[in-house]
Amino acid sequence: MTMLPDIGAAAPVPSPASVAAPLDHRGSWVPSAPMIATRFMELRRRRGLMITLILVTIGIPTVFLAIRLLLHALAPKTYGPAGGYSIYTALVSGVLYVFGFIVAATLGATSGSADLNEGMFRHLVVTGRSRLALYAARIPAGLAIIVPLVAVGFTIVCAVCVFAAPSTLNYNGVTVPVNLSRTGLESWAADHADEVICNFDVRIEPSTPNASTINAAVNSAPCGNGPPNVQQPSGPQGQPQLAQGQIREVAGLIARMDYSDYARQFLYPSNSLMIESGLWLELEAVIGFVVGLGLGSLIGQRTVAVILMIVLEVVLTPILSRARIPHLSNLQRAVVGLATAHLAPGGLPVLGGGGGGPAGGSGNPGLLPESTTVAVCVIIAWLVGWSILGAWRMMTRDA
Amino acid sequence: MTTTALPHPSSSRAAESQWAVETHGLTKRFEENVAVNDVELLVPRGCAFGYLGPNGAGKTTLIRVLLGLTHADAGTMSLLGYPVPRHRDKALARVGAIVDEPRFHGHLTGRQNLQILAAAREPAARDRIGPALERVGILHRADDKVAKYSMGMRQRLGVAACLIGDPQLLILDEPMNGLDPAGMQDMREMILSLVAEGRTVVLSSHLLDEVERTCDAVAIVDRGKVVRQGPITELLAGASLVVQIECSDPDRARALVSATTIGAEVVADSTGLAVTLPAGTGRDVIAEINRVLVEGGLSVYRLQEVQASLESWFLQVTSRLGESQ
Repeated sequence: MTMLPDIGAAAPVPSPASVAAPLDHRGSWVPSAPMIATRFMELRRRRGLMITLILVTIGIPTVFLAIRLLLHALAPKTYGPAGGYSIYTALVSGVLYVFGFIVAATLGATSGSADLNEGMFRHLVVTGRSRLALYAARIPAGLAIIVPLVAVGFTIVCAVCVFAAPSTLNYNGVTVPVNLSRTGLESWAADHADEVICNFDVRIEPSTPNASTINAAVNSAPCGNGPPNVQQPSGPQGQPQLAQGQIREVAGLIARMDYSDYARQFLYPSNSLMIESGLWLELEAVIGFVVGLGLGSLIGQRTVAVILMIVLEVVLTPILSRARIPHLSNLQRAVVGLATAHLAPGGLPVLGGGGGGPAGGSGNPGLLPESTTVAVCVIIAWLVGWSILGAWRMMTRDA
Repeated sequence: MTTTALPHPSSSRAAESQWAVETHGLTKRFEENVAVNDVELLVPRGCAFGYLGPNGAGKTTLIRVLLGLTHADAGTMSLLGYPVPRHRDKALARVGAIVDEPRFHGHLTGRQNLQILAAAREPAARDRIGPALERVGILHRADDKVAKYSMGMRQRLGVAACLIGDPQLLILDEPMNGLDPAGMQDMREMILSLVAEGRTVVLSSHLLDEVERTCDAVAIVDRGKVVRQGPITELLAGASLVVQIECSDPDRARALVSATTIGAEVVADSTGLAVTLPAGTGRDVIAEINRVLVEGGLSVYRLQEVQASLESWFLQVTSRLGESQ
């Protein structure tokens, strides 16, 4: 073993006054930048974990979209475009939302338990650094990993869904040009009267103007696959055949009835929806990481913590968000998954696809009702509560 | 039962800061089991101090209590003059320690592990990583993953982790574990060099020979209680004196020596007789034994005073404890 004299001075025994502690605020609960940086490095160097995180947050949507792009390129008539609004909503609320939470929780649980399991906790405690600071350093370090990963995965989804979106809109099985005005849609409908009359939704009320004419047009339309989508009151049948001009006029009327529904159809997600969805996914990832960190620190084990988080996200949250359990509805509202679901941007189906579609996730009729204020409070309570629990356990745990 | 050459704690108030480690009535229980029992320990600064005890005596538990890894149930303690846990951060800022087997993040290199620990210390600690790795002799493996390190290399990395804090006090729990003879020699030399630099090294071990060769003072702990402490030379001075005798008729020699009034305990063994004399016996008693044997008509081939070792003293102390209980 080489002896070097340069560690500490080879000096006489120092008096107590000369061995004063360095002024580095070691007792402060605020972690230093190097502590955060080395925590980040420690997590980033976990190759298996990082590969898993990348595969789930970036790999799954990328592979899915790549296959769709390839299939569409090879057989465009059989396979539709890779992107578009429906693919976007499916990937965001069906994949990134759920898996983003799970991988964030896995990272958090790893961060919260690794030092303990691998014997480093003891070394760190012996430095004299505040245990609270040791805990706090893990939060920005972990978020510095999971937030960009989710952002990259989400950006890929957005890019493909926008740039590989369908060029025409399929409305009730009819290919319709997009972004038509009401007049434009009526005009287009007049030119495609048979398709419109046979496929568009027709809602005839007794008060509907020209109801008899519409009925006659519907009944006389040459629809090959059964009767058109008509909701009408019972009345006299056997309407007379209409002239071509009347049929064009009826098609225009039907288009006018359906315009508000047509106007909510998108080829690709709007900018505001993408921004809101991105922030919403990041919120979910932050919650997953912080809760996972607290749980991992509390239990001191990664595996159990990850399993509990998966059960929460995949099993308990969907059940508790939709079931109406007598006398326990307020307890159900304390589930963080329900709270984040209520904060979902309009236009996203949430919690396994039972959602509101373009009408907006916040108005999801399947979810247990909860105000936005309550949802925000629940999320804050989960973030703060689990942080306190994790930090408390770390401060009181025998090392 | 405790005999100590060190000042009694109550008389050391004025010189409190002379001690690197000072405990009074320190107690730690695990339910019914008292792992640390009313320990009064004084470790002088600038020396190598051995903390000895059989397995399960509570050595590691005391270290864990001192370092704040677990809490004490009763008593007071201070490190480098700072009372802990009240000034734990200031005290530990100048303390380095290995407790149990040193373990690190296996997926990181030795250098990266030290970077994590240095980040929790003062900024200057980062500059000490390279020299510390070089000093413990693993600089050439510093960028290998710790998972590939042998036990001995992890021990050295543990010492390097201590050194990056420029410690005034090092607490090493079984530092020789996993080291080959050359590694043990290196470790011994390093401990001595650390002491020569003015640092205090507390060495917990059951390797009595190593402790005797390395330490200036020791404490013996048994069932959680410190039963002896003081400088080794003074403690060994209180050990029994053993004289080995080879002669023509061991049985008759045994009878002759036993018949004297010198109060010796005589045991016949394969090589002759082992005569154990009470502590403090003068060398003239050895001459008296020789005279008795010669006047009894026996031929004395060898009569040798056996130097008391820490091991023999430790066994004497612990066997007496066993007898008394």
